[in-house]
Amino acid sequence: MKKIPLEVYYFADNLRIMAHFLLRCENPHIFMPIEAIVDTGSPITIIGPSDIKRMRLSKIQLNKLEGRHKPINIGGGKIFTKVLEKAKLRFGDNLEVEIPVDFPIKNEEKSIQPTLLGVDFMLKTKAKLFFDPTNKEAYFEIQD
Amino acid sequence: METSQETQLLNNFERDSKWFHEHTDELRNKGFVSKFVAIKNNNVISSGENMDVLIDSLEKRNENPSYLFIEFVHPKGTIIIL
Repeated sequence: MKKIPLEVYYFADNLRIMAHFLLRCENPHIFMPIEAIVDTGSPITIIGPSDIKRMRLSKIQLNKLEGRHKPINIGGGKIFTKVLEKAKLRFGDNLEVEIPVDFPIKNEEKSIQPTLLGVDFMLKTKAKLFFDPTNKEAYFEIQD
Repeated sequence: METSQETQLLNNFERDSKWFHEHTDELRNKGFVSKFVAIKNNNVISSGENMDVLIDSLEKRNENPSYLFIEFVHPKGTIIIL
């Protein structure tokens, strides 16, 4: 049994579960640490526009991304994403997971939508989520 | 990058994230409300009203934005429904 520690912080004055991981991809080359809100209300893992900017990928590189191109309804609005099929997420020293990750390719320039770690991650790893907001404790429990 | 360097990178990122979340009110009081801030070694090293401005500023300082903790400072009382 692996225990992946998570953080519980106030994000915009709302208590959230935060995960930190290294995101890696060969093409386009991406290697960077990411903070994501663990969102059991999101079926997918989606990178926020600010993190896309941190990657410094050009619009040409984003448009060349392979994978499905689809609209996503989020927070009452609609954004368009491409799915990076083979993104690798590394948590600490003992867990690396390959899952599809959605990249927004068309969105409002001033969007501050955070990166979300969705239920797809929990399904892929068969993870259980423990969350105690009173004591600000959270972790994933994953069967070996 | 070796595994130990990757771990160090992630640890530094987590440290700066923790610092940001514990000092958000202080950042608001210092005038960073509605700005993006870049944190390194528990300090704000640059800020901007949008990500393009901030990234340009970081690149001029020879900093790699991919490796830095960058976050938006929301006004007090903001509620975000994801």
